[in-house]
Amino acid sequence: MYLNHLDPKNAPHGEEYCHSMIGVNTPRSDGAAKASGTMQYASDLIIPGMLYGAVLRSPYPHAEILSIDTSEAEAMGAVCLTYQDIKPVVYNERSVSTPSGTYRDRTILPNKARHVGEPIAAVAAETEELAYKAVKALKVEYKVLPAVFEPEDALKDDAPQLYDTIYLDEQEIKVKNNIGVVRNIYEGDVEAGLAKADRVFERDFSLGRIYHAQLETKCAVAKPEVDGSLTVWGTCQSIHGCRQLLAYALQMPLSKVNVKKLPFGGAFGSSIQVNTVIPICAAIAKKAGRPVKLTSAREEDFYSHQKYPSKYHVRIGVTNDGIITAGHVKALIDFGAHQVQPLPFMGCTSGWFASLYKYQGNIAFEGTAVYTNKTPCCAMQGYGNPQINFAIESMIDIICDEMGFDPIDFRLKNYRGPGDEFWGQGPTIRSIIKSSGVEESLVEGRKVFHFDDRKSPAEKTGTKRRGKGVARGFHCSGTGGPKEGEVIDYSFATVKINEDGSVDVLSPVTDHGGGTWDALRKIVSEVLQVPYDMVGLSPADTMNTGYDVCTHATRGVYCGGGAAKNAAIKVREKLFEYAGRMMDENPGDLEVVMDPVAHQGRVQVKNYPAKSMTINEIARKAWIMSWGTLAYSDSYRQKNCPPCFTTHFVEVEVDTETGIITFPHVLIYGDCGVPMNPDLVKGQLVGSFNRGLGYTVYEYLPTDEKTGHLKNMGLLVDYKTPSVYEMPRVENMQVELCHTYEPTGPFGAKGIGEAALASVQAAIANAIYNAIGIRFYELPITPEVVLAALKKKKEEEARA
Amino acid sequence: MSMHKITLKVNGVNRTLEVKSNELLLNVLRDRLFLTGAKYGCGIAECGACTILNGDRSVLSCLVPAVAADGWEITTAEGLVDKDGNLSTLQESFVDNAAIQCGFCTPGMVMTSTALLRENPDPDEEFVRDYLRGNYCRCTGYISIVKAVLDAAQRMKEGKQ
Repeated sequence: MYLNHLDPKNAPHGEEYCHSMIGVNTPRSDGAAKASGTMQYASDLIIPGMLYGAVLRSPYPHAEILSIDTSEAEAMGAVCLTYQDIKPVVYNERSVSTPSGTYRDRTILPNKARHVGEPIAAVAAETEELAYKAVKALKVEYKVLPAVFEPEDALKDDAPQLYDTIYLDEQEIKVKNNIGVVRNIYEGDVEAGLAKADRVFERDFSLGRIYHAQLETKCAVAKPEVDGSLTVWGTCQSIHGCRQLLAYALQMPLSKVNVKKLPFGGAFGSSIQVNTVIPICAAIAKKAGRPVKLTSAREEDFYSHQKYPSKYHVRIGVTNDGIITAGHVKALIDFGAHQVQPLPFMGCTSGWFASLYKYQGNIAFEGTAVYTNKTPCCAMQGYGNPQINFAIESMIDIICDEMGFDPIDFRLKNYRGPGDEFWGQGPTIRSIIKSSGVEESLVEGRKVFHFDDRKSPAEKTGTKRRGKGVARGFHCSGTGGPKEGEVIDYSFATVKINEDGSVDVLSPVTDHGGGTWDALRKIVSEVLQVPYDMVGLSPADTMNTGYDVCTHATRGVYCGGGAAKNAAIKVREKLFEYAGRMMDENPGDLEVVMDPVAHQGRVQVKNYPAKSMTINEIARKAWIMSWGTLAYSDSYRQKNCPPCFTTHFVEVEVDTETGIITFPHVLIYGDCGVPMNPDLVKGQLVGSFNRGLGYTVYEYLPTDEKTGHLKNMGLLVDYKTPSVYEMPRVENMQVELCHTYEPTGPFGAKGIGEAALASVQAAIANAIYNAIGIRFYELPITPEVVLAALKKKKEEEARA
Repeated sequence: MSMHKITLKVNGVNRTLEVKSNELLLNVLRDRLFLTGAKYGCGIAECGACTILNGDRSVLSCLVPAVAADGWEITTAEGLVDKDGNLSTLQESFVDNAAIQCGFCTPGMVMTSTALLRENPDPDEEFVRDYLRGNYCRCTGYISIVKAVLDAAQRMKEGKQ
């Protein structure tokens, strides 16, 4: 009944689809290196003559720096770096948006501390021990200023001001009431839409600050070269973004900065921007004239990047027939002490909100993002999507519960699906949905999960109460679109056939662990019909690759893979041209198939396969005859932004005596189009459930308002994340992949990474409601919160 | 800072080193013996990324002063690979079960799981979940890791028959 996308006859556009490792589980090719500890991450790198760096961080949330005395540290032999050593070039760490949509407010090192943990000065010394001692020897005179921690307080007229002026593109602008960005987006007529509704639902939602907790803390190694250039290895999701920023901040031409691509120990969005350690490391290495390695301690990393906390006021109108007539979201975002681009964050949030349901075209989003004296916030798997999804998918559950609609039928009636417009990256990136696993996941999931058997909360008794919930979500696959928008999106690839018929693929795209690099190899293998194990991935850096914006926005396979496919097709044309000359045939009459016996791609005459040459023979002959290498490099932009959909069915068990929530059964549907490697896709979905579980019932980062320090002091043990213990049992963690084919994606693929998290939170919260009849509007729903709510409910029931 | 002469047997090779009394085993392994399998994730026993073996026992190398490791027989993830370059059954099982994503926790997970299987060659799921509680992974959601350990136990059992 659903498309079997692995059957070649179902692949649209006559794509060849033969031997292929596409859709096949293959062990990840970097697996052996990772399992044996030999994979080299930035933090593993040691270079001869290397110094170790360390950073002095502000103990105050808001303070002017009156003076920094480095003499004692220098007497110990350390090289020191303060704001006085640096040209005050003002930048934004994230360079994904166009310059006209980029606010700039920071320098490599500041003359004013705006949050606890802000880097104030750095040292480099022969040993790590000496570096840490030298940091302690730095003497900083601060003038402590009043600080503000909550966005509502920051908006007040008498609140401490973090900035007088900042920059938008080249324009200097005044900051009033700590407002960083205001973004209002309107479509249709919300008030008219709400007037048509039989009921209008109005609720407030709040999601707290959390931390990425990627296992590798931010790290950089910078090496000043003898010719004045700089080579950098760092934890970055975008080597080209990192290079651009370093060149800009250090005032060097791009050709003098080379950033090497490396694997990194997780990021979850926290390395889209170039974190503070990389420019600090580069600047101090330049000053020292020696390579420097700078690794954040875990406690420092906690104070370096966090997820945007979000507060929403939501209004949704619904008719008695179950049609949503309008949606209105007011958002208040606390983004901390620096802008890592709350402008596109709010644009994207509006897009996730607008693209969930049709709302009869009546949509309003009114967002305000505010500076506070806390750690700067940045993307964290979903870029506003898990936040707004929690609000909207909770609202849908409330609406269905109160109006008596079936939660699955109601979603199927109102969702944006094939033929509808999808705002892949806010209002400026719009494309039409061409593939959707929503129907399959809701219709099939309902049966598989026995969703209709769930009882109402009132029917539940006993101390341990189970409940079932559902929520659906999605994310974009990249940020491309028919027209350029406020986000830069294109990628680059080189594909090269070697003299023996094997192939090298060169791509600036990073792999966060999802298997993007293997996907690129599979795509090229498919186009050229060269066996998968004959396709290698080249080491890449910013000098040997063209620009790629970043592995963010779930774009690795769809956009990076699109670029690899494009280059491979061009190489195939060249291959046919060479083969045609060699075989005296018209290149247009040739095709390539895999020859499993020769373990080679084979170019043959269509309808007369007896006349053929292996790619080895062609490439070798071209080499001997000095015709040149079969290679092609180019940039490529995806002109669509297809949504990858997910649906989460979650069963919870609430222990009403302890407030602890456990997860007896979870069913996840993921729609990534054609999966490049199904097990790795499922791994993304399971891992995201784990993180979503943490976000929903455990994780938050409260600030001590007296000191501005995190209450957990940057310690993982005092920041509860889900361990293996909180996960469902193996057999009860069920993952299904939808049978879809995305016509604009490489061999039918779109993304999955961020979609995998989008609806976890709401599904859990909806299941909790079904278990105990209590609706939670704030995350996290910790055991303490559950117990307090149960107590309150009991008191209310007793009064009634 | 006083210096101490220590001898370690690391992945089958005897190493004699002069170490400072405040030097940590993790740093000695990484920065002086160039064994990058043990990772820094927190430095204070919160994450398990630095797990190594002393004999058959799993140890967090970030907590051990190198002087205290004098005489230890240490195995790191690199040392589980045989002389022909073959991964151990457990490491292979991690690769085959898609139990690796970013890979930063993997060497620590592999070392804890190796200790687990030496202690109990026939574990059930509860035993594995309990044993791996101290090893943090932000990517996988652990399910594939539990599967990999159980699968390795099965493979090792079959290999012996």
